[in-house]
Amino acid sequence: MTKQRIFNILKKEWQVMFTELNSLMLVTVLPVIILAQGLLYVWLIEKFGGESMINSSFFQSVLRKISEVMSAVSNLEITEQLQVFLLSQFNFYLLLIPVMIAVSFATFSIVDEKQTHSLEALLATPVRTWELLLGKALSGAIPAIIVTWICGALLLLGVQVLGWGDLLTYFLNPAWFIILFLLTPAISILSFLLGVIGSARAKDSKSAQNLVVLIVLPVLALIGIQISGVVWFTTILTLVLALAVVVIDFFVLKVAVRLFSRESIIISWR
Amino acid sequence: MIIETNNLTRKFGDRLAVDNLNLTAEEGKILGFLGPNGAGKTTTMRMLAGLISPTSGYAVVDGIRPDKEAERVHEIIGILTETPGFYNNLSAQRNLEYFAGFYNLSDASAQIEKYLKLMELWERKSDKVGTFSKGMKQRLAITRALIHRPKILFLDEPTSGLDPEVSQEVRGLIQNLSREGYTIILSTHNLSEAEQLCHRIAVIRSALVTLDTPANLRKRLFKHQTMIKLEEIDENLIQAISKLDYVNKHSREENTLLIELADPSKHQSDLIKKIVEAGGRIIEVTDKKHSLEDIYLSLLNEEEKI
Repeated sequence: MTKQRIFNILKKEWQVMFTELNSLMLVTVLPVIILAQGLLYVWLIEKFGGESMINSSFFQSVLRKISEVMSAVSNLEITEQLQVFLLSQFNFYLLLIPVMIAVSFATFSIVDEKQTHSLEALLATPVRTWELLLGKALSGAIPAIIVTWICGALLLLGVQVLGWGDLLTYFLNPAWFIILFLLTPAISILSFLLGVIGSARAKDSKSAQNLVVLIVLPVLALIGIQISGVVWFTTILTLVLALAVVVIDFFVLKVAVRLFSRESIIISWR
Repeated sequence: MIIETNNLTRKFGDRLAVDNLNLTAEEGKILGFLGPNGAGKTTTMRMLAGLISPTSGYAVVDGIRPDKEAERVHEIIGILTETPGFYNNLSAQRNLEYFAGFYNLSDASAQIEKYLKLMELWERKSDKVGTFSKGMKQRLAITRALIHRPKILFLDEPTSGLDPEVSQEVRGLIQNLSREGYTIILSTHNLSEAEQLCHRIAVIRSALVTLDTPANLRKRLFKHQTMIKLEEIDENLIQAISKLDYVNKHSREENTLLIELADPSKHQSDLIKKIVEAGGRIIEVTDKKHSLEDIYLSLLNEEEKI
């Protein structure tokens, strides 16, 4: 029965979400923009990465860092080294996709229930709170994860098509896969749960999204840390980071379940 | 008794919403919760439905404690909330399928078809609920509460905000459901609705003011009065009536006499004879009916005095 109920929630959530133009735009246009933007930067380096860029002290320090962690990269042309450097950032950059999709779906899903007063009738059914929460979390996390994986595949395809296939061996490392297959789902669920918590405090989806947009900041910080060369996320460090997010997921889930108590929803959600 | 409460109490912070409520509901009957806004009707209903817990005391619903086994209670109840919400971008049928999906129903589609037809919504089953009128949404909400064949139906202000015609339709529907054997708990502040529908009425103002049938409430609160309408009333007639030892009390409203008799079944015919003998020309003799509004106001006034 639990599986049936969760599937029931998933099906309804997707039906409701995909009647909304914003949701459709979010899972189609946004990932394409993020992906195209990234590939464009790599192309620009190849095309216009001149002396000034190569001589820049920032890029020189970054290249030194990348040579330390990937010694094979130092055999490449400077422009190619910069391209590898940028492509290495892509896996973190792609994390923006699940964060934004999951957050947006969470806020929409919860605030819509609040605004339409449908939740009290739903809570009067035999559905358990965790079934409801899991169903909703999956409805937001699954599209977010799938879209991110598709973008990951499109990135590799784009790299191949644009003639940078030789560079794949340099940045397609275990860390890349850990980010895609462990960190992406963990961050999607975390974003959704934080979205739920934010929504529980907000009156409408706009204010909810304003609250939870802050979730994007840590992801931007990760990108910033790696770009600036402060920390380079090696395989081990990436694994530690991903596992830490999984642990955080459980803590945040506890908070979300507490906020989702039938009593507080029925009494406070007006 | 299918529902029993034992000192059921609910506080919200310092505010006492429901105070030591003790009541019972009979199986297959309609029990009305009557009271002013903020009297605790909805809170009581929510506690009985296992949606919120009591601060102290408890309820037993069909042998189950809602505060301990809410999910089991949810299997056997249907609820129409005060503001019934739907997913407006989904069709009526899809909305019902979704809610039916939480019960172990082997014939959900047949149930949905049956009730949509009963509620005259079958033709609109594929339309988005967002396009429905308030009355249609209310009928759909009642359908939603019925599709899993609950034993008990909780209806919170079922006709609130509906136009008179639709309200009457909904009332007819509730009466039909009662005839089918559903136990119905109906919360309302519409007195005529309570009178029309309920077998028993619980007047609530945080605590239980009283619980009885409308007829018994009348008997308890108002003595039987005979209303005699005459062509005209003169002083002689009044004096003649005053002398009768079985007349406890009498008053006059224009050309009508209101007389309280010691034993109406025994003395009414003699009273009429005496009035005719005193020259009174009677147009009509009836028993004074007290509306539920009279009863309700009287009860609340008594409550305030206490």
